[in-house]
Amino acid sequence: MATVNRLFAYEGIPIWRHARIIEWTLQVVSGVVIVALLLWFFSNIGNAVEDRDIPFGFTFLDREYQTPIGEHFIPYDSSDTFGYAMFVAITNTLLVAVLGVILATALGIAVGVARLSNNWIVSKIALVYIEFFRNVPLLVQLLFWLFIILALPPVREGFVIADLLYINNAGVSFPGPNAGGDFGITLLWVGFIVLGVVLGVLAHARLSRRELETGRASYPVVAGFAIAVGVAAVSWGVLALMGDAPITFSAPEPRGRFGRIGGGVTIRAGLLVLLIGLVIYTASFIAEIVRAGIQSVGRGQVEAARATGLSPMQALRHVTFPQALRVIIPPLISQYLNLTKNSSLGGAVGYTDLTNVGITMTQTAPAVSIFLLIMLAYLAMSLTWSLIGNIYNRRISFERDEAQSGGVLAMAARALPFRSRRRGGGDDGDGRGES
Amino acid sequence: MTTANASSAPVLPPPRSETGALGWARANLFSTPFNAALTALSAVALLAALFFGLRWVLFSADWSVVATVGGRFVIGSYNSDQACPGNNCFWRPQVSLLMATLVLGAAWGIAGGGMARGAALIVAGAAFAFAFLPYGMERMGMDVRLLLAANLPMVFIGWALVRYTPLGSARTLAIMAVAAFGLTLFLLLGYEIAGDEGGWFRPVDVRHWGGLTLNLILAGAGITLSLPIGIALALGRRSHLPVLKTVCVGFIEILRGVPLITLLFMSQHIVPLAFPETFPRNSLLNAGVVITLFSSAYMAENVRGGLQALHPGQAEAARALGLPGWQTTLLISLPQAIRNVIPAIVGQFIGLFKDTSLVYIIGMLDMVEVGRVTITGRPEYQGTAQEMFIFIALVFWVFTYGMSYISRRVERNLGVGER
Repeated sequence: MATVNRLFAYEGIPIWRHARIIEWTLQVVSGVVIVALLLWFFSNIGNAVEDRDIPFGFTFLDREYQTPIGEHFIPYDSSDTFGYAMFVAITNTLLVAVLGVILATALGIAVGVARLSNNWIVSKIALVYIEFFRNVPLLVQLLFWLFIILALPPVREGFVIADLLYINNAGVSFPGPNAGGDFGITLLWVGFIVLGVVLGVLAHARLSRRELETGRASYPVVAGFAIAVGVAAVSWGVLALMGDAPITFSAPEPRGRFGRIGGGVTIRAGLLVLLIGLVIYTASFIAEIVRAGIQSVGRGQVEAARATGLSPMQALRHVTFPQALRVIIPPLISQYLNLTKNSSLGGAVGYTDLTNVGITMTQTAPAVSIFLLIMLAYLAMSLTWSLIGNIYNRRISFERDEAQSGGVLAMAARALPFRSRRRGGGDDGDGRGES
Repeated sequence: MTTANASSAPVLPPPRSETGALGWARANLFSTPFNAALTALSAVALLAALFFGLRWVLFSADWSVVATVGGRFVIGSYNSDQACPGNNCFWRPQVSLLMATLVLGAAWGIAGGGMARGAALIVAGAAFAFAFLPYGMERMGMDVRLLLAANLPMVFIGWALVRYTPLGSARTLAIMAVAAFGLTLFLLLGYEIAGDEGGWFRPVDVRHWGGLTLNLILAGAGITLSLPIGIALALGRRSHLPVLKTVCVGFIEILRGVPLITLLFMSQHIVPLAFPETFPRNSLLNAGVVITLFSSAYMAENVRGGLQALHPGQAEAARALGLPGWQTTLLISLPQAIRNVIPAIVGQFIGLFKDTSLVYIIGMLDMVEVGRVTITGRPEYQGTAQEMFIFIALVFWVFTYGMSYISRRVERNLGVGER
């Protein structure tokens, strides 16, 4: 027996009792089983694809889609390819996500602050808002808003306010910018805007640091805004002088025999309903997050700030809010992610978002390939949100030493999920248990 | 000198304006001019909203559409001509409800009052009240009414069962609940019986299951299964074994990164490709599995949050006492971790219940879809969509708010945040 033990021993311990060897055996076995299951699953799909003549592959992406997409805000035509149509659908989803996130954050913060108001009525109204909209399925809310919009009068008999705002069952029209004649120029201008914003942010950071270090007033916010707006305006002027204005402004007006609205900006019914529903629903969650965040800041903090002579607004701005943000940001980012994913309900209210277009595409193209692409697109969006959240989280986290080592790239690499920063303590998209 | 002054001065009551209703109003409504303006503004808005809202609810709104749909809200097309040609399958969901109230009554008996009593009496009382709905007898027969009314005595039978028989333990309650759920599924599925002349027990395809029953069945299965799966995933993600960890992280992140509606659609159109063509397709099973797995990925993150917040000293102390690793996890870490994240877990349960309304994408007729189909399918109901969806919203709200209320009570009873 002793010889056997010595023969099959590692580090003096019989291998069937050696913790590390048991663990690794289990891991290898379970790994093999999982890989085998996945192989079985996908090879079965592959076989089915071959045997039942189910189309597969990605050659369809170059074919003409030949189906209209109800709403699109970059140019699209039925003769465009499947690949481009899918890109249009992705931009549709991104549009809802970006607009929804901005509006839901604003409404959510307002309701969250109202919930904490020492005014009894305001606080109770916020409470009712939160408890109702948070607890009713988004689909029900969307259908409710959809049928309200559909019950509005048709275009020709719609409401017109001061000849500027048109409200009818096709959507809402108001004065605003339109893309110029050449979409390429518009894109170029958008590029300039991004450049301006980046420059503005850099200037803001630099001037803030100067103000902090030297104590001289440097107006970082004003300068940042001025640079961003200036770059946008100057580039618009230069492009317009060179021949083609990147955007033009116009007011909506009825055109043609059927009174269809032309000019201005029209938010059509599908997008309008989806935005209203998503914003009201998500804001109820954000309000709770904001409330919990503000309440997490100790009372003493505010009292100390007031005692040092800060006004209530200053105390909120410089003491309460920066500390509350640490608690607010991780769940807030996960709400942004939820909003992005919930926009997939657009199909139920007639908005052509990514999922809706994908489902329509499956009628004329291989479903398996389309769903692979859709999943990849959504995964990319959610990874982007986690990345943003983690970078921000790291910047405001108390562990600054680690946050500031390395450049932006190193920070981005650390922010990616799928790897843990320290052994044992996991680190992830929502960054719980950070500070 | 000062003491003499203090004792000679009479102790005055606080000024009238600082106590009672007046004081409360001053402190909470009119403390500053800005606050007073805010109060006035929101009071006007609130009164206007109440006035026009109530006027609409009481006089303008046409609630007959809700009455017309009636029982289909609860069971969808389960008792329709296609599903059950004799229209005599209604008793099966009703017996399921009776079993549910029996279990609720038993829960009341075990808990001895409190929330369990409230929940049991409210559910049974509502069912009892439904027996007296003012429908004509041809629409809602005496058999339907009797089975509904039986829910009230059933609660007391369940209560007495655990009080006066040896069945009164939490373990029997759990077994009863699981057995009732299994029996419900069996009852609703039906079975081909030789001597069943009238087709009372004929099999009903899951395609015809629907209404609130479908939402509740999916939510019940999902809630029961997603917590254990989520705990397993959370432990896997925290494990130091790289293979296990990678698998769990991949599973969690992929499921959390994709909309549920996309997963549901895939389950119906792509997963069947992996099985032989003769393999029976079951949209109910698809929906249940997808919703459960989707929810368990979120549950895993909640549980992991709780585990991370736990001080490592707890596990170290347990190991120092000689507990093996699995006992440390099961008896020390997990109970504390889960106790700390009860709100998040219940929030996820509520989310799961709300998500059951997405099964419309695979063609199942849940309560929301029953309403939508009624509105879009019949032109005469187009104008009553608001009434319809407000009603559906209220039904969902009652369940979800009930869940969050219970979670707050449980949290208080466990004393979370006090130690």
